[in-house]
Amino acid sequence: MENRLIVSSSPHLHKGESVSRIMWMVAISLLPAGVAGVVIFGLNALWVSILAVITALATEGILQVLTKRKVSILDGSAFVTGLLLAYNLPPNVPIWLPVIGSFFAIAVGKQVFGGLGQNIFNPALVGRVFLMASWPKYMTAFSRPLNYDALTSATPLASLKEGKILENISYLDLFLGKRGGCIGEVCILALLLGAAFLLIRGYISWHIPATYIASTAILTYIFGPRGLFSGDWLFHILSGGLILGAFFMATDYVTSPLTRKGQIIFGIGCGLLTAIIRLWGGYPEGASYAILMMNAATPIIDRYTKNRVYGTRPL
Amino acid sequence: MKEMVRYGFILALICTIASGLLATVNSFTKSKIIAQAQAEEEASLKEVVAQGERFEAIKSQAGTIYYRVYDKEAKFIGVAFKASGKGYSSIIETMVGMLKDGTITTIKILSQNETPGLGANVAGRDFTGQFTNKKDLTKVQAITGATISSRAVIEMVKNKAEEIKGLIKDGK
Amino acid sequence: MKKLLNEFLKGIIRENPTFVLVLGLCPTLAVSVSIINGIGMGIAATFVLLGSNIIISLIKRIVPDRIRIPCFIVVIATFVTIVEMTMKAYSPALNRALGIYVPLIVVNCMVLGRAEAYAQRATVVNALFDGLGMGIGFTLALILISAIREFFGSGQILGQTLFKGFEPASIFAMPSGALLVIGLLLGFFNLLKNRKAQ
Repeated sequence: MENRLIVSSSPHLHKGESVSRIMWMVAISLLPAGVAGVVIFGLNALWVSILAVITALATEGILQVLTKRKVSILDGSAFVTGLLLAYNLPPNVPIWLPVIGSFFAIAVGKQVFGGLGQNIFNPALVGRVFLMASWPKYMTAFSRPLNYDALTSATPLASLKEGKILENISYLDLFLGKRGGCIGEVCILALLLGAAFLLIRGYISWHIPATYIASTAILTYIFGPRGLFSGDWLFHILSGGLILGAFFMATDYVTSPLTRKGQIIFGIGCGLLTAIIRLWGGYPEGASYAILMMNAATPIIDRYTKNRVYGTRPL
Repeated sequence: MKEMVRYGFILALICTIASGLLATVNSFTKSKIIAQAQAEEEASLKEVVAQGERFEAIKSQAGTIYYRVYDKEAKFIGVAFKASGKGYSSIIETMVGMLKDGTITTIKILSQNETPGLGANVAGRDFTGQFTNKKDLTKVQAITGATISSRAVIEMVKNKAEEIKGLIKDGK
Repeated sequence: MKKLLNEFLKGIIRENPTFVLVLGLCPTLAVSVSIINGIGMGIAATFVLLGSNIIISLIKRIVPDRIRIPCFIVVIATFVTIVEMTMKAYSPALNRALGIYVPLIVVNCMVLGRAEAYAQRATVVNALFDGLGMGIGFTLALILISAIREFFGSGQILGQTLFKGFEPASIFAMPSGALLVIGLLLGFFNLLKNRKAQ
């Protein structure tokens, strides 16, 4: 039954889409970034992704059988969760890490709440944050790009946090993904290709990504390292998981607001939190925490941005 | 009014009995608590300067500044002191042993509340062991992923060691 | 006799303070990092509960209703302070591990909750068995939670490393892991209860 529900504010018009179809489209749009990740970091990135996806599907299926619910592993949502989780991992993690992360994402992030449509938080991010809190050693060891041995390097944002000057990295490197980072977040070009596909086909709207990215950029520009209005906003857009988060995770139908107005509030909130964590927080990167915190705020945003029923007074 | 006095009286009665009871327990445990604290301090002093036999506390109004350490022949061999500073998420307190030529013998983390699995590893032997027999603390390697906590420990030990070295010189 | 046994047993499963009444979660979340801490906290809280339950049911006739809360708090605080001083004198390591949460037993809802809901109306013997049962129920819950957290969070049981090469998930050693474990256990026990009710 859930498969036939499209979550949006009224009025409704059936378009022949289904949750399952949308999920598979999202999965397709994520592929270029994955291919880029494998090219940049080597085959281990591929194994990590495959393991994460398989575990996500298996966990979903087993839990649905155990709880005697309809098995819906082919609706694409578990696939997308597994893939997104893998994209949020460093490429050279031990192989059990994506397995545990995927299991946790689906079991605790999704099925405990009652399955697709019931979860409060983006399951892939729940998995990532669990791994980050549990095995920070592996989650912060990034390998060098285009250098297929296990040498580690810091991500650009981590170097920035430690006060090092970044001279040897250009905007083009960042745009193409020649930097240390998570599998799916590094190649901005590939991510934008996928995002463009989703935007043109109307699977996601511009409201969340645009406001999210813009507010991060504005805040990091204003509070720059050398006084007000000196920040390197382009660097902040191109590094970390901002682009991946803004287009593919903040836009998750289940955990983001329904109305346009709500989505704009959501996007700005994500942007502010990301910038605050990056500039003043303990972690170098805050996109995943920002999105999770705004996920928690989504019900209340929805409540105050409900569309007015025609003919009634405003709230 | 009469009610109020009665309430006050009952509460006062209960409080009196309670304080009497506490005073009794306190008289039994007080000396024991002080002895325990001293024994612990002694043990950690012994741990950082293993050759030490007698530890003499050098005190100021604010409390103990450092300990002068004497060996079996009552010869002055070095000092032991506490250093503390802000780590990543807590105040880290360490006990440091130092020979009189400025070589660190051992450090021991007395208390910390850093992130488990990362910053909390500063209390591990892998990290503290690096300080042993070092004069130049710049060679101590920070723990991967826990740079802030590690640096905090290195800095606090280094700064305090300099300070104490100055004090020893003045004292002579 | 059977009734007394019932008073004793209800705190362990049917009205377990942690999993059924959901009282006293603050110390539960904070100290359940290792089994030793859990047992220490459990025994300390049981002692306080036992003492306060007995005294409160003894003085229930002389305490006027309107000032009962301050009276109960004084009684509870006295027992807590006794526990703290004893612990400092005889087990400083445990005292340091439990830290501020020993004095905070004063505001543990479980202790005041039992005084309010039970001891102030019960006979001394009943209150004694209630306090003992609740205390043991609390201790068992703490042991269960802290065993799970100690195993997953530091790979140990009672301070002994079990498997070589097992990489502990440090989230379980953090407060967020405690919330997670308690939440999942609560859900699990509710599931069992619902199954039984059907």
